[in-house]
Amino acid sequence: MQTAGEHKLPHFFHYPPYFTLQPVRETREKQIQLWKELILDYCRAHKIFVIGLEEDFPLFSNSAIERSLNHEAREAFLSALVLDGRAEWMDKSHRQCLILWHRIKDWADIILHFAKENGLEDSVMTVEEIRTGIESRGTDIHGMDRGVLMRALKLLENKGKLAIFKGTSTDDEGVKFSV
Amino acid sequence: MRRRPGIGGLQTAAAARDQYRLLGENVAKLRTDLMKEQLSTFRSQLEDFARKHKNDIKKNPAFRSQFHEMCAKVGVDPLASNKGFWAELLGIGDFYYELGVQIVDICLATRPINGGLINLEELCKMLSQRRKGAREAVSEDDCLRAISKLKVLGSGFEVITVGKRKLVRSVPTELKKDHNEILELSQAQGFVTVEEVERRLSWSTGRATDALETLLDEGLAMIDDGHRDGKRRYWFPCVSSVSSFVASETL
Repeated sequence: MQTAGEHKLPHFFHYPPYFTLQPVRETREKQIQLWKELILDYCRAHKIFVIGLEEDFPLFSNSAIERSLNHEAREAFLSALVLDGRAEWMDKSHRQCLILWHRIKDWADIILHFAKENGLEDSVMTVEEIRTGIESRGTDIHGMDRGVLMRALKLLENKGKLAIFKGTSTDDEGVKFSV
Repeated sequence: MRRRPGIGGLQTAAAARDQYRLLGENVAKLRTDLMKEQLSTFRSQLEDFARKHKNDIKKNPAFRSQFHEMCAKVGVDPLASNKGFWAELLGIGDFYYELGVQIVDICLATRPINGGLINLEELCKMLSQRRKGAREAVSEDDCLRAISKLKVLGSGFEVITVGKRKLVRSVPTELKKDHNEILELSQAQGFVTVEEVERRLSWSTGRATDALETLLDEGLAMIDDGHRDGKRRYWFPCVSSVSSFVASETL
């Protein structure tokens, strides 16, 4: 797991009260806002798609100041992201949260752009190739969550920008671009 | 034989009084004339000085502060009006208006974090950060001057002194003596606990919690329940420096 140290963390992360959910509304709103931005930035920088609430997510504690977020605070910050449409709970008990540091429609745009950049307008690619192939190296697409990728591809399929076809197993689902 | 006071005597006395008065008036007039002359000489010297050191006044905050002090002593306020000699010569009025606007901006932007109370030192730091491109450096003295001009707007901008620090208040809340004492106490570590307030200020529990709750409600304090000892800490962003970092990102 990545350490929080690699990421340039904002200074509020080193200010102890930001690890306690604030009781006063205005202060809490500002606190939540800062945490939302931090979580999105961090996930984007580290290509993280799923946060487990009970896991040791690097942002949930700061050993330098000996503070960590309790469950209530974790859930509050992630719920705020869910409300913004930037995250989704993956289960009813809110144990896992999918972080959409790009919205699905933005992912779709990125994929389209990617296809045009690489001259794939009429080509066929497998989903795995899109995720891990040479072409996507260095882009946000590389190594992206398969579930998120599929949703973005489906969105593009609905728009008629590509066709998804099934192979013999889920591993070789393929995509034909028709941009 | 003793002379009785007659008309002649009275007249002489009155004449003498008049003479004295006239003399007195003359002396006084001479003195005021002299003073006026001195003052006007001084003013024109001051103007010459200002003209000569225009660039220093604009660029060097320490020099500017001394210049202001000197002006105050002879009753010249270069900020009194944006028109007239001083403003035209130095453009100093514009400089402070600009600072004023930027100060208001910063205070508003950081309000959600610090509750409308900001360390002067930090405000100044943020102001300089914002004005990176500007030629003139900005000192705390400049901030204070710009803030004093903001008072005219009646927006409740005020500088308060808490302990060794100067804080700039941009919300109309009046800080009571109790609150000031807590803020002063918090300057050592950036936070206080109820226990500490009681012990150091010899207050009852109720008084301490009351004051802390108010500060919390005003957005001036933040709670921290994360310490190992389990004691709730009340942090004050306006005395710590976190607010500047947080806010500079959002500005």
